[in-house]
Amino acid sequence: MLKIDNLHVNVDGKEILKGLTLEVPTGEVHAVMGPNGSGKSTLANVLSGRPGYEITAGTVSYQGRDLLALAPEERAREGVFLGFQYPVEIPGVNNVYLLKAAVNAARKHRGLDEVDAFEFLTLVREKMRLMRMEESMLSRGVNEGFSGGEKKRNEILQMLVLEPRLAILDETDSGLDIDALKVVANGVNTLRSPERSLVLVTHYQRLLDYIVPDHVHVLVKGRIVRSGDKSLAHELERRGYDWVAGEAA
Amino acid sequence: MTSALSKRVLDEYAAVRETLPAGVVSPKRRQEAIETLIARGLPTTRDENWRYTNLRPLERARFAPIAAGSAAIALPSGSDLPSRLEGFARYAFVDGIFVPELSTPVDAAVTIGSRLQGTRRAAAGPASVTHLPQALPALSSLPEARLALLSEAFATDGAAIHVSDTAGAPRVELVFIATAGADAGASYPRVQVSLDPATRLTLVERHLSAGANANFVNSSVKVDIGRGAHLTHYRLQQAGLRATWLDTLAAAVASDARYDLLTVSTGALSARSTTYAQMAGAGAELTLSAAALGDRQQVQDNFALVEHIAPRARTEQTFRGIASGRARVAFNGKIAVREAAAGTDSRQSLRGLLAGPEAEIDVRPQLEIYTDDVRCSHGATAGKLDDNMLFYLLSRGLSTEVAQRLLKWAFLEDVVSKIALPELRRQIEHTLAGQMADAASLKELL
Repeated sequence: MLKIDNLHVNVDGKEILKGLTLEVPTGEVHAVMGPNGSGKSTLANVLSGRPGYEITAGTVSYQGRDLLALAPEERAREGVFLGFQYPVEIPGVNNVYLLKAAVNAARKHRGLDEVDAFEFLTLVREKMRLMRMEESMLSRGVNEGFSGGEKKRNEILQMLVLEPRLAILDETDSGLDIDALKVVANGVNTLRSPERSLVLVTHYQRLLDYIVPDHVHVLVKGRIVRSGDKSLAHELERRGYDWVAGEAA
Repeated sequence: MTSALSKRVLDEYAAVRETLPAGVVSPKRRQEAIETLIARGLPTTRDENWRYTNLRPLERARFAPIAAGSAAIALPSGSDLPSRLEGFARYAFVDGIFVPELSTPVDAAVTIGSRLQGTRRAAAGPASVTHLPQALPALSSLPEARLALLSEAFATDGAAIHVSDTAGAPRVELVFIATAGADAGASYPRVQVSLDPATRLTLVERHLSAGANANFVNSSVKVDIGRGAHLTHYRLQQAGLRATWLDTLAAAVASDARYDLLTVSTGALSARSTTYAQMAGAGAELTLSAAALGDRQQVQDNFALVEHIAPRARTEQTFRGIASGRARVAFNGKIAVREAAAGTDSRQSLRGLLAGPEAEIDVRPQLEIYTDDVRCSHGATAGKLDDNMLFYLLSRGLSTEVAQRLLKWAFLEDVVSKIALPELRRQIEHTLAGQMADAASLKELL
C-alpha cells in the first residue's frame, strides 16, 4: 500500500526527516510513535501533500504510484486521508456541504455519478450516531465552535464517510478525554479491513490500547530507529523515549 | 467657481427644466437643489469620501433624464424580471418611470397611483404606494447628498411608500430596470419610505439592467422610520456590467424604531453607494449589512455614515467584500457619536477579501465619539484566502477552484445569513454563485 524509502524533508531549510524508511502493507495498522520534534507531523503532512515541505531525497509510493507527484486533492481522490492534528475551523462552509463535495469529488474521479442526496444523508446520520455526534453539527460551519474532542470526532466522521484506502491519523488522540478516545477509537476500528491501511501517528501509547496496531515504529530525529509489534509501545511507555533515543545516538 | 462639469449640469438642466414633471418635484425645489449642488460642486476623487469611486463616467454622462416614451427605452417583458416573491406587491420602473404592466399589487390594501395616468390615490390600508415622491426633507442639510440633489433636480418619477396601519406587515418589492444607454440620458430611480409609529414593512428594492447598454443610473432613497416602527429593507444592485450606478440613501430612525438594511452589490462597472443613517431617537436600532463582489474592472465603492444623536441607540455594521480580477471594492464606514448620544452601542465588522493579484480592497472603519459612556467596537481586515482552510479543503479532494469558491462563499456568510426570507436568500445565493465564475460547482451545494 505505502512504501516510504529514504525520505529526506526540509522545513524552512532545516532537515526534519533524515532518511525515513517505512512500509505499510495493505490491510495493516501501523503506529508511528515518537517524542516531540521527531518529525511525526512532518511525515503526516508530507504524505498529504501540504505545501511548505521540501523533499530533498527519497521516494514515496502508494499503490505502486509516485505519491509525491500527486497534488493534495488528487491524493485525497485516490483514497488517501489525513486526519489533522489541529483541524481548522471554516465558518460559513457547512459540514454537510463539505462532506458531500468531498464524496462527489472522489466519485467523479472514479467515473461515478454524484451520490444520491437521500442515501448520502442516511449514511452520514448513521456514521454520526457511531461517533456520538449531534445531528445539528451537520448544518454548522466546518469545525466552527467545536471543542477539541468534537473536532477530532468530526475528522473521524469524514474518514468514515470517505472510506479511504490509506488513512493517516496525526495525533488524533491528543486533547481527548478517555470517553472521547473510546468513541474515536471505535470509529477507527470499524474501518479496519483487509483492503485498507492505517497509519497512526501518536506520542502516547494510550490510543494503541483501543486501536491495536499490527506494527509499531519509533521515530526519533527524523528516522525510524526501531520497529516491533504492539509490545514495543508498552515498552516505550514504561521506559520512555530516552531509551530508544539513546540507542539512536 | 464653476467647473466645466457643473456648467454642463446647469446647461442640461436649463434645457429640460420646463419638461420635468412638477408633480414629482416642484420647480422651486428643483431650482434649490440645482443651486445647492452647483454651489457645493460635484464630487471629485480629491474628496476624502470619494477617493475610491470611479467618477470618470460623470465626465461623459448626460444628466438630463431619459425622456418618457423615448425610443431608447426597451421595455422589458415580465420574463426579464426576477421571479416574484410570494406575498410581495411588485412595482416596476423602467429607466426611472413606473410601468403598470410590469407591476402586480397583491392586495387592495396596497395601492399605487400613476402620475402619467393621473390616478393618484390617497393612502389606504396598511401600506400605500404611490410613485410620487413627497417632499423630501432638506437634502442640503445632509452631510453627503450631492448626488441626491442631482436626482432631485432631474427627477422624473419614483415610489413613495407610506405605512400607517399598525396591524399589517406589508411586503413591497420595487424593481428598477435600466435599459437605455447613457447617451440617451440618465435614469433617476427614487424611493421614499415612511413608516408611521409602530408599523412594519418589508421592502425589497432591486436594481437591474435589461440588455447590454451602458446605463447611467443615479438612485435616491429616503427612509423615515417612526417611533417603534420596524423596516426590513433589502437592496440588490445587479446593474449591467457596463453600467454606472450611483446611489444615495438617507434614513432617519426614531425612538425604539428598528431599521434592518441589507445590501448586496454585484453589478455595474462603476458603482457607488452613499448611505447616511441618523439614529434620531433614544433606543433606535440599526443593522447595516452589506456584501459587495467585484470582478474584472468593476469598482464597488460604499460610503456609510451612521450618526448617533440620541441616547442608547445601537448600530451593527457588517461589510464583506470580495475583489477579484482587477476590481476595486471599498467600504468606508463611519460612525459618529454626538454629545447627546450617551449609552450608544456600536459595532463594526468590515472585512475584505483579495481574490486576485491585481484586485484592490479598501476597508476603512472610522469612529468619531463626542461623549463618554459608549460602547463602540470595530474590526477591519483585508486579506487573502486562508492557506490552512484552503489546504484542509484540498485534502478532502476538492479542486483548488472549488475550494477557493467555497471559501469566498463562506466569507459572505455573515451577511447572507441575515437574509430572513428564505426565497429571497435563495435568489441572492444564486446571484452570488453566478457572480463567481463557473457557478455550477457551487450551485450543487445550494
